[in-house]
Amino acid sequence: MKGIKTDGTAIQVMSVDDSAISRKMIKKALEPEGFVVCAEAGNGKEAVELYPKIKADVITMDVTMPVMDGLEAASAIKKINPGQKIIMLSAMGDDDIINDAKSRGIDDVYCKPFKAPELIERILKLM
Amino acid sequence: MSTSHIAPFVKSSVTIFKDMLGLEVKSGTTENEGDSFASRGFSVIVGFTGGWKGRFFLDMTGATAIQLASTLTGEEYSSMADEEVLLSGAELGNIISGNAITDINNTYPGLNLRLTPPSVFAGDDLSMFNVRLNSCSVLIDTSAGPIKINVAVEEGKK
Repeated sequence: MKGIKTDGTAIQVMSVDDSAISRKMIKKALEPEGFVVCAEAGNGKEAVELYPKIKADVITMDVTMPVMDGLEAASAIKKINPGQKIIMLSAMGDDDIINDAKSRGIDDVYCKPFKAPELIERILKLM
Repeated sequence: MSTSHIAPFVKSSVTIFKDMLGLEVKSGTTENEGDSFASRGFSVIVGFTGGWKGRFFLDMTGATAIQLASTLTGEEYSSMADEEVLLSGAELGNIISGNAITDINNTYPGLNLRLTPPSVFAGDDLSMFNVRLNSCSVLIDTSAGPIKINVAVEEGKK
């Protein structure tokens, strides 16, 4: 069970994506390995508002979302907690977006479609 | 409208069909249909803006849409109007067009194309019109049935 830490507790993941199907697929990829999707948000604003109430080891963050995009949300969350690990998980991943993500302190960029084993490895790398 | 506009979308579609959905892709046929085409019943539309403006259509039968949604979620559906079938179509359109736009943006720095949220239409006798835009279609024959890709583009300043 790759989602279980050495202290026996589960790695907590927050999933931020405006696509309910995408959030469902992330959950299906992670939960069989023991990860817990502790929170879900449908846009960046929801994620920023929810963030202080949860404790996530890693956040998967889409970029293009209504109300507030993932890059802005990541900046806001990093302001609250600079150590928060964030993986940008988006269908868009051109050089400009990757550079923007890096300048905001986003820890990793992974373009959809994701594969469950690779997503898991990328989360584990940040732990 | 040239093949250079549609090629990244075809490449992205074939990759997603094979790698994400595990479909066998048998062949692709270019179709010239002017500014409109008749939908097979389930159509996903994603717009893009920036240095180019346009639309990407992904069109298929309801049965194909149901099969693709089942592959994505691992669940069974009986109707193409099921919310998860519609959402799966939207996500598929978003991923295919996102990958294609990424490719275009990296090839033509400064274009800065961005996507609009997808729309999904499901029903009989739908006609799709690309008003004021030239379009090109490729019909891809897959193991889940034929899937049409239609791209309409207007080049602005680069």
